[in-house]
Amino acid sequence: MSNGDGHNVTGPDAQLCAALRSALEMPHDGAFVTRLRALVRQRRERTWDEVLAGWFWQGVLATSMVVAAAVLGLSALGPGATTSTDEESVAVQLIDAQSPGADVLIASMTRVR
Amino acid sequence: MTGVDDSELAARASRADPEAFGELVARHAPMARRVAYAVLEDQEDADDAAQEGFLSAWQAIGRYDPKRAFRPWLMQIVVNAARDLRRRRRVRAAEPLEHVAAAARDDPAREAGELDLGDQLRKALATLPERQRLAVVLFDAEGYPQAEIAGMLGIPEGTVKSDVFHGRRALRKALGSVKEEWDEQR
Repeated sequence: MSNGDGHNVTGPDAQLCAALRSALEMPHDGAFVTRLRALVRQRRERTWDEVLAGWFWQGVLATSMVVAAAVLGLSALGPGATTSTDEESVAVQLIDAQSPGADVLIASMTRVR
Repeated sequence: MTGVDDSELAARASRADPEAFGELVARHAPMARRVAYAVLEDQEDADDAAQEGFLSAWQAIGRYDPKRAFRPWLMQIVVNAARDLRRRRRVRAAEPLEHVAAAARDDPAREAGELDLGDQLRKALATLPERQRLAVVLFDAEGYPQAEIAGMLGIPEGTVKSDVFHGRRALRKALGSVKEEWDEQR
Protein backbone atom coordinates (compact mmCIF):
# COMPACT_ATOMS: atom_id res chain seq x y z
CA MET A 1 0.00 0.00 0.00
CA SER A 2 2.98 2.22 -0.34
CA ASN A 3 1.45 3.82 -3.40
CA GLY A 4 -1.36 5.16 -1.24
CA ASP A 5 -4.33 4.85 -3.57
CA GLY A 6 -3.74 1.20 -4.49
CA HIS A 7 -4.32 1.84 -8.21
CA ASN A 8 -0.84 0.70 -9.18
CA VAL A 9 -1.25 -3.02 -9.74
CA THR A 10 1.65 -3.33 -12.15
CA GLY A 11 3.97 -4.60 -9.42
CA PRO A 12 3.82 -6.06 -5.92
CA ASP A 13 3.62 -3.63 -3.03
CA ALA A 14 6.77 -4.12 -0.95
CA GLN A 15 5.19 -2.99 2.31
CA LEU A 16 2.06 -5.04 1.77
CA CYS A 17 4.24 -8.01 0.82
CA ALA A 18 6.16 -7.85 4.10
CA ALA A 19 3.02 -7.31 6.16
CA LEU A 20 1.09 -10.12 4.44
CA ARG A 21 3.96 -12.58 4.74
CA SER A 22 4.30 -11.78 8.40
CA ALA A 23 0.55 -12.09 8.96
CA LEU A 24 0.26 -15.39 7.06
CA GLU A 25 3.41 -16.96 8.45
CA MET A 26 2.65 -20.40 9.84
CA PRO A 27 4.55 -21.83 12.80
CA HIS A 28 6.71 -24.97 12.77
CA ASP A 29 7.76 -25.11 9.13
CA GLY A 30 10.53 -27.55 10.10
CA ALA A 31 8.16 -30.08 11.68
CA PHE A 32 5.81 -29.85 8.70
CA VAL A 33 8.67 -30.52 6.27
CA THR A 34 10.02 -33.44 8.33
CA ARG A 35 6.59 -35.10 8.50
CA LEU A 36 5.97 -34.61 4.80
CA ARG A 37 9.39 -35.94 3.80
CA ALA A 38 8.66 -39.11 5.78
CA LEU A 39 5.33 -39.50 3.97
CA VAL A 40 7.02 -38.99 0.61
CA ARG A 41 9.56 -41.74 1.41
CA GLN A 42 6.72 -44.05 2.46
CA ARG A 43 4.95 -43.50 -0.83
CA ARG A 44 8.07 -44.31 -2.79
CA GLU A 45 7.06 -47.97 -2.82
CA ARG A 46 4.59 -47.91 -5.66
CA THR A 47 1.69 -50.33 -5.95
CA TRP A 48 1.58 -52.81 -8.86
CA ASP A 49 -1.12 -50.87 -10.69
CA GLU A 50 0.98 -47.69 -10.50
CA VAL A 51 3.93 -49.62 -11.93
CA LEU A 52 1.72 -50.92 -14.76
CA ALA A 53 0.37 -47.42 -15.35
CA GLY A 54 3.95 -46.17 -15.56
CA TRP A 55 4.68 -48.68 -18.34
CA PHE A 56 1.41 -48.06 -20.20
CA TRP A 57 2.70 -45.71 -22.93
CA GLN A 58 5.87 -47.72 -23.43
CA GLY A 59 3.65 -50.78 -23.87
CA VAL A 60 1.44 -49.00 -26.38
CA LEU A 61 4.52 -47.84 -28.32
CA ALA A 62 6.09 -51.32 -28.38
CA THR A 63 2.81 -52.92 -29.52
CA SER A 64 2.43 -50.31 -32.27
CA MET A 65 5.97 -51.01 -33.50
CA VAL A 66 5.35 -54.78 -33.58
CA VAL A 67 2.07 -54.29 -35.49
CA ALA A 68 3.75 -51.88 -37.92
CA ALA A 69 6.60 -54.34 -38.53
CA ALA A 70 4.11 -57.17 -39.15
CA VAL A 71 2.14 -55.05 -41.63
CA LEU A 72 5.34 -54.05 -43.45
CA GLY A 73 6.47 -57.68 -43.57
CA LEU A 74 3.18 -58.86 -45.07
CA SER A 75 3.13 -56.06 -47.63
CA ALA A 76 6.72 -56.95 -48.64
CA LEU A 77 5.55 -60.47 -49.54
CA GLY A 78 2.91 -58.70 -51.59
CA PRO A 79 -0.42 -59.85 -53.05
CA GLY A 80 1.15 -59.97 -56.57
CA ALA A 81 3.69 -62.55 -55.50
CA THR A 82 0.98 -64.73 -54.04
CA THR A 83 -1.19 -64.50 -57.21
CA SER A 84 1.64 -65.32 -59.59
CA THR A 85 2.52 -68.37 -57.52
CA ASP A 86 -1.11 -69.50 -57.71
CA GLU A 87 -1.28 -68.90 -61.47
CA GLU A 88 1.92 -70.83 -62.01
CA SER A 89 0.66 -73.72 -59.99
CA VAL A 90 -2.58 -73.92 -62.04
CA ALA A 91 -0.62 -73.86 -65.29
CA VAL A 92 1.72 -76.52 -64.05
CA GLN A 93 -1.24 -78.67 -63.00
CA LEU A 94 -2.86 -78.32 -66.45
CA ILE A 95 0.37 -79.16 -68.26
CA ASP A 96 1.34 -81.92 -65.86
CA ALA A 97 -0.13 -85.10 -67.36
CA GLN A 98 0.42 -86.98 -64.14
CA SER A 99 -2.10 -84.79 -62.36
CA PRO A 100 -5.56 -86.40 -62.20
CA GLY A 101 -7.20 -83.01 -61.91
CA ALA A 102 -5.87 -82.00 -65.34
CA ASP A 103 -7.15 -85.22 -66.95
CA VAL A 104 -10.61 -84.65 -65.62
CA LEU A 105 -10.62 -81.03 -66.80
CA ILE A 106 -9.41 -81.83 -70.31
CA ALA A 107 -11.84 -84.75 -70.67
CA SER A 108 -14.79 -82.63 -69.64
CA MET A 109 -13.77 -79.89 -72.08
CA THR A 110 -13.54 -82.43 -74.97
CA ARG A 111 -17.04 -83.84 -74.26
CA VAL A 112 -18.57 -80.39 -74.30
CA ARG A 113 -17.16 -79.78 -77.73
CA MET B 1 21.24 -29.94 -3.03
CA THR B 2 21.41 -26.20 -2.45
CA GLY B 3 22.93 -25.43 -5.85
CA VAL B 4 20.40 -27.46 -7.80
CA ASP B 5 17.47 -25.65 -9.38
CA ASP B 6 13.83 -26.70 -9.09
CA SER B 7 13.59 -28.19 -12.58
CA GLU B 8 16.58 -30.46 -12.00
CA LEU B 9 15.19 -31.56 -8.64
CA ALA B 10 11.81 -32.23 -10.26
CA ALA B 11 13.54 -34.28 -12.98
CA ARG B 12 15.30 -36.35 -10.30
CA ALA B 13 12.04 -36.69 -8.37
CA SER B 14 10.31 -37.98 -11.50
CA ARG B 15 12.89 -40.78 -11.50
CA ALA B 16 11.48 -41.81 -8.10
CA ASP B 17 14.06 -39.94 -5.99
CA PRO B 18 12.25 -39.04 -2.74
CA GLU B 19 15.21 -37.01 -1.46
CA ALA B 20 15.00 -34.68 -4.45
CA PHE B 21 11.29 -34.22 -3.88
CA GLY B 22 11.97 -33.70 -0.17
CA GLU B 23 14.24 -30.81 -1.08
CA LEU B 24 11.43 -29.28 -3.14
CA VAL B 25 9.14 -29.70 -0.15
CA ALA B 26 11.63 -27.89 2.10
CA ARG B 27 11.98 -25.02 -0.38
CA HIS B 28 8.30 -24.46 -1.05
CA ALA B 29 6.52 -25.56 2.12
CA PRO B 30 6.34 -22.08 3.72
CA MET B 31 4.79 -20.60 0.58
CA ALA B 32 2.41 -23.53 0.10
CA ARG B 33 1.21 -23.22 3.69
CA ARG B 34 0.64 -19.46 3.34
CA VAL B 35 -1.29 -19.90 0.11
CA ALA B 36 -3.39 -22.73 1.59
CA TYR B 37 -4.06 -20.54 4.62
CA ALA B 38 -5.22 -17.74 2.32
CA VAL B 39 -7.89 -20.10 0.99
CA LEU B 40 -8.90 -21.84 4.22
CA GLU B 41 -8.26 -19.29 6.99
CA ASP B 42 -7.42 -22.09 9.39
CA GLN B 43 -3.91 -23.32 10.18
CA GLU B 44 -4.75 -27.02 10.63
CA ASP B 45 -6.81 -27.12 7.45
CA ALA B 46 -4.07 -25.21 5.63
CA ASP B 47 -1.49 -27.80 6.70
CA ASP B 48 -3.78 -30.64 5.60
CA ALA B 49 -4.30 -29.00 2.22
CA ALA B 50 -0.61 -28.19 1.72
CA GLN B 51 0.30 -31.76 2.61
CA GLU B 52 -2.34 -33.13 0.24
CA GLY B 53 -1.06 -30.81 -2.48
CA PHE B 54 2.55 -31.95 -2.06
CA LEU B 55 1.58 -35.63 -2.07
CA SER B 56 -0.53 -35.11 -5.20
CA ALA B 57 2.43 -33.36 -6.83
CA TRP B 58 4.69 -36.30 -5.84
CA GLN B 59 2.27 -38.71 -7.49
CA ALA B 60 2.00 -36.53 -10.61
CA ILE B 61 5.67 -35.55 -10.85
CA GLY B 62 6.10 -37.80 -13.89
CA ARG B 63 3.69 -35.55 -15.79
CA TYR B 64 5.49 -32.30 -14.86
CA ASP B 65 6.84 -30.51 -17.94
CA PRO B 66 10.38 -29.33 -17.06
CA LYS B 67 10.05 -26.53 -19.65
CA ARG B 68 7.52 -24.89 -17.33
CA ALA B 69 8.42 -23.25 -14.02
CA PHE B 70 7.99 -25.66 -11.12
CA ARG B 71 6.69 -23.22 -8.50
CA PRO B 72 3.45 -22.16 -10.29
CA TRP B 73 2.78 -25.81 -11.22
CA LEU B 74 3.07 -26.79 -7.57
CA MET B 75 1.05 -23.81 -6.30
CA GLN B 76 -1.77 -24.62 -8.71
CA ILE B 77 -1.95 -28.10 -7.20
CA VAL B 78 -1.89 -26.66 -3.67
CA VAL B 79 -4.63 -24.13 -4.47
CA ASN B 80 -6.78 -26.92 -5.94
CA ALA B 81 -6.15 -29.10 -2.88
CA ALA B 82 -7.13 -26.24 -0.59
CA ARG B 83 -10.29 -25.53 -2.58
CA ASP B 84 -11.19 -29.22 -2.55
CA LEU B 85 -10.74 -29.35 1.21
CA ARG B 86 -12.81 -26.24 1.59
CA ARG B 87 -15.61 -27.77 -0.44
CA ARG B 88 -15.45 -30.93 1.66
CA ARG B 89 -15.55 -28.93 4.86
CA ARG B 90 -17.83 -26.21 3.60
CA VAL B 91 -20.01 -26.05 6.68
CA ARG B 92 -17.10 -26.16 9.05
CA ALA B 93 -15.12 -23.63 7.03
CA ALA B 94 -17.95 -21.17 6.53
CA GLU B 95 -18.64 -20.65 10.19
CA PRO B 96 -15.21 -19.44 11.27
CA LEU B 97 -14.99 -17.18 8.23
CA GLU B 98 -18.27 -15.51 9.09
CA HIS B 99 -17.18 -15.32 12.67
CA VAL B 100 -13.82 -13.78 11.78
CA ALA B 101 -15.38 -11.39 9.30
CA ALA B 102 -17.83 -10.22 11.95
CA ALA B 103 -14.99 -9.91 14.43
CA ALA B 104 -13.07 -7.77 11.97
CA ARG B 105 -15.99 -5.38 11.86
CA ASP B 106 -17.01 -5.39 15.50
CA ASP B 107 -13.98 -6.39 17.56
CA PRO B 108 -13.73 -4.04 20.57
CA ALA B 109 -10.02 -4.79 20.83
CA ARG B 110 -9.58 -3.57 17.27
CA GLU B 111 -11.46 -0.42 18.05
CA ALA B 112 -9.22 0.09 21.06
CA GLY B 113 -6.15 -0.42 18.85
CA GLU B 114 -5.05 -3.45 20.86
CA LEU B 115 -4.58 -5.86 17.94
CA ASP B 116 -1.23 -5.99 16.22
CA LEU B 117 -0.76 -5.49 12.52
CA GLY B 118 -0.75 -9.24 11.76
CA ASP B 119 -4.05 -9.83 13.57
CA GLN B 120 -5.68 -6.89 11.85
CA LEU B 121 -4.40 -7.94 8.47
CA ARG B 122 -5.66 -11.53 8.89
CA LYS B 123 -9.05 -10.26 9.97
CA ALA B 124 -9.15 -7.81 7.08
CA LEU B 125 -8.20 -10.58 4.65
CA ALA B 126 -11.03 -12.71 6.01
CA THR B 127 -13.52 -10.08 4.86
CA LEU B 128 -12.43 -10.49 1.21
CA PRO B 129 -13.98 -13.01 -1.21
CA GLU B 130 -11.70 -16.03 -1.64
CA ARG B 131 -10.60 -15.15 -5.17
CA GLN B 132 -9.66 -11.58 -4.23
CA ARG B 133 -7.83 -12.84 -1.16
CA LEU B 134 -5.85 -15.34 -3.23
CA ALA B 135 -5.06 -12.76 -5.92
CA VAL B 136 -3.70 -10.28 -3.37
CA VAL B 137 -1.69 -12.93 -1.50
CA LEU B 138 -0.24 -14.51 -4.66
CA PHE B 139 0.57 -11.13 -6.20
CA ASP B 140 1.67 -9.01 -3.24
CA ALA B 141 2.92 -11.61 -0.75
CA GLU B 142 4.34 -14.25 -3.09
CA GLY B 143 5.32 -12.07 -6.03
CA TYR B 144 3.74 -14.07 -8.85
CA PRO B 145 3.10 -12.25 -12.15
CA GLN B 146 -0.56 -11.65 -12.91
CA ALA B 147 -0.41 -13.94 -15.96
CA GLU B 148 0.76 -16.88 -13.81
CA ILE B 149 -1.90 -16.18 -11.19
CA ALA B 150 -4.50 -16.18 -13.96
CA GLY B 151 -3.24 -19.61 -15.05
CA MET B 152 -3.26 -20.94 -11.50
CA LEU B 153 -6.77 -19.74 -10.71
CA GLY B 154 -8.21 -20.40 -14.16
CA ILE B 155 -9.40 -16.83 -14.68
CA PRO B 156 -8.50 -14.08 -17.20
CA GLU B 157 -5.50 -11.86 -16.44
CA GLY B 158 -7.75 -8.80 -16.40
CA THR B 159 -9.80 -10.38 -13.63
CA VAL B 160 -6.65 -10.92 -11.58
CA LYS B 161 -5.72 -7.26 -12.02
CA SER B 162 -9.21 -6.21 -10.97
CA ASP B 163 -9.14 -8.57 -7.96
CA VAL B 164 -5.78 -7.22 -6.81
CA PHE B 165 -7.02 -3.67 -7.16
CA HIS B 166 -10.27 -4.27 -5.30
CA GLY B 167 -8.59 -6.51 -2.73
CA ARG B 168 -6.01 -3.89 -1.90
CA ARG B 169 -8.68 -1.21 -1.68
CA ALA B 170 -10.78 -3.37 0.66
CA LEU B 171 -7.75 -4.12 2.83
CA ARG B 172 -6.90 -0.43 3.05
CA LYS B 173 -10.46 0.41 4.00
CA ALA B 174 -10.65 -2.39 6.58
CA LEU B 175 -7.32 -1.55 8.11
CA GLY B 176 -7.79 2.19 8.32
CA SER B 177 -5.53 3.19 11.17
CA VAL B 178 -2.95 0.57 10.27
CA LYS B 179 -2.36 2.29 6.97
CA GLU B 180 -1.48 5.43 8.87
CA GLU B 181 1.07 3.39 10.84
CA TRP B 182 2.53 2.11 7.61
CA ASP B 183 2.66 5.59 6.18
CA GLU B 184 4.44 6.79 9.29
CA GLN B 185 6.96 3.98 8.94
CA ARG B 186 7.78 5.02 5.36
